[in-house]
Amino acid sequence: MIDQIVFENPEFLWLLCLMPIGAAGYYFFWTSSRPLVKLPSLEGFKNSKSFIPKALPLLPSLQLFALGFFVLGLARPQIVNVSTQSFTSSGIDIVMAIDVSSSMLARDLKPNRLTALKEVAANFIEDRYTDRIGLVVYAGESYTKTPITSDQSIVKNALSQVSYQGILQDGTAIGMGLATAVNRLKDSKSKSKVIILLTDGVNNSGFIDPLAAVELAKEFNIKTYTIGLGSNGQAMAPVAILPNGQFQYGLTEVEIDQELLQEIAQSTGGQYFRATDNRSLEEIYEEINKLEKTEIEEFKYYNYQEMYRMPVIIGLILLVMQWILRKTLFRSFI
Amino acid sequence: MDAKELLKKVRKIEIKTRRLSADIFGGEYHSAFKGKGMTFSEVRSYQYGDDVRVIDWNVTARYNEPFVKVFEEERELTLLLVVDVSGSEVFGTVNQLKREIITEIAATLAFSALQNNDKVGLVLFAETIEKYIPPKRGRSHLLRIIRELLEFEPKTTKTNIGHSLEFISSVLKKRAIAFLLSDFIDDNYERELRIAAKKHDLTGIRVYDPREESMPNIGVTLAKDAETGKRSWINTWSKANRMKYGGYFKNLEKQFQLAFQRNSAGVVNCRTDQSYVKKLLNYFKTRG
Repeated sequence: MIDQIVFENPEFLWLLCLMPIGAAGYYFFWTSSRPLVKLPSLEGFKNSKSFIPKALPLLPSLQLFALGFFVLGLARPQIVNVSTQSFTSSGIDIVMAIDVSSSMLARDLKPNRLTALKEVAANFIEDRYTDRIGLVVYAGESYTKTPITSDQSIVKNALSQVSYQGILQDGTAIGMGLATAVNRLKDSKSKSKVIILLTDGVNNSGFIDPLAAVELAKEFNIKTYTIGLGSNGQAMAPVAILPNGQFQYGLTEVEIDQELLQEIAQSTGGQYFRATDNRSLEEIYEEINKLEKTEIEEFKYYNYQEMYRMPVIIGLILLVMQWILRKTLFRSFI
Repeated sequence: MDAKELLKKVRKIEIKTRRLSADIFGGEYHSAFKGKGMTFSEVRSYQYGDDVRVIDWNVTARYNEPFVKVFEEERELTLLLVVDVSGSEVFGTVNQLKREIITEIAATLAFSALQNNDKVGLVLFAETIEKYIPPKRGRSHLLRIIRELLEFEPKTTKTNIGHSLEFISSVLKKRAIAFLLSDFIDDNYERELRIAAKKHDLTGIRVYDPREESMPNIGVTLAKDAETGKRSWINTWSKANRMKYGGYFKNLEKQFQLAFQRNSAGVVNCRTDQSYVKKLLNYFKTRG
């Protein structure tokens, strides 16, 4: 939605040039056109401290400004309210499967992996406003945060609430996450179905084998992009839980089951990415965004709101003010 | 003003003012200005009651009986009309402009002088001396003076009374009766006044308009100073402003009155809506 003021007849704005001409005219000819009282001597008025004669240019300037506002009104200002509506002939369905295991709290991405991911994913969701997006989180188990929906705000809201809470059994059940995502997509009638699977570890939990989940994905013709998150080498990651519930951080080896992820991606026609820092994570999502092009038809609705009344009314008020002032404060009896 | 119209006007003024000077002023002018200079005419024998101071001792000794000198009043007077024709004179809110009133007064005085067989001269001044007509006797000269009074167009607009007084002190060798007709919108003329008043029998006739005493409320108005030609917006809503305006003229009047009285010169104040005849008559009577 874009609000802006445009003039329907901007050529009338050239009439504003009359204002300086009028001002010059007033300046040079106004005094000489006024009725004049000839007095024997004005010495008596010499020291009078009256503001009224000094404020006298107010009258012509009020007139000039009234003229200016009338010209503005003549130019027909309008507030244009452009509302855009897009229709996609073929929107796609995307399910983001996000790893929320405790290792996602590792601090090799700033401030930690999960927060960095949430930021990037939110942007991604915003860019894919034509598509339906669902959210699946998994650790040792998995569950659906939101089913696929075109309501972006719900998805984004849900995404912001994603955190490591220990609700799920800790661990990394890639197979479970993938399978849940596939389950979400299996009834979709969309032409193109995509899963973005993100993990930072090795499949070490769950009762569904990742490769079995891949078979399911293939079955339902679902493309899977996989992202391995975590820097190379070691990272500060939670190693233990302290009695007060906080994590003890320690250097741990980052291990990602790259072969598995590659396998998943390739066998479903997707792609595997490796994110080592915030920047590369962002780039990956941009890449995916580009890969999954959708055709969009956009309709623009122009809503015109006529605004000429305002300047005309102001101009009238100025004229009336000028008239009142002339009849009261600046009244002359000659 | 074309010649015909001008002649008509001169004639009108002549009729009006001559009647005035003949009927009303009559002897008043005569007796008011006796002339100080006495010329010796003859000696005659002393009679009881004669002032012993006027006995001519030389003749008395020669004839062995007392003789006294007889003087004759010097009736050869000169009337000098000093008339202000500055811009401020062309103002009037009642019937006549100040300048018209001044012209009438001057003409009346001139005709009175004519009856007395006096010489009449004219000085027209504004910022400088605009015109000087040396004193002369006779009706045609007088009509010329009236014509000048009526039609003269000054080149300057301000008033310089000091300069005109200086001029009449120097231009006439003989003592004259001088009338200074002006609205006295000027100050700092007392020094010249002292000299002129010593030399001549000087009378100041101040002609002013009621609207110089009090300014009505005419709102916010563009006004032009007749003397300086300056234009400015004045606010007459303000009572203080109007009082200041009136105060300025009142102050000028006070100055005029004080200055003339201090130098034993005559003072006449004429408002344009009041009869100047009465004022002049009064003045002549108090003098005589």
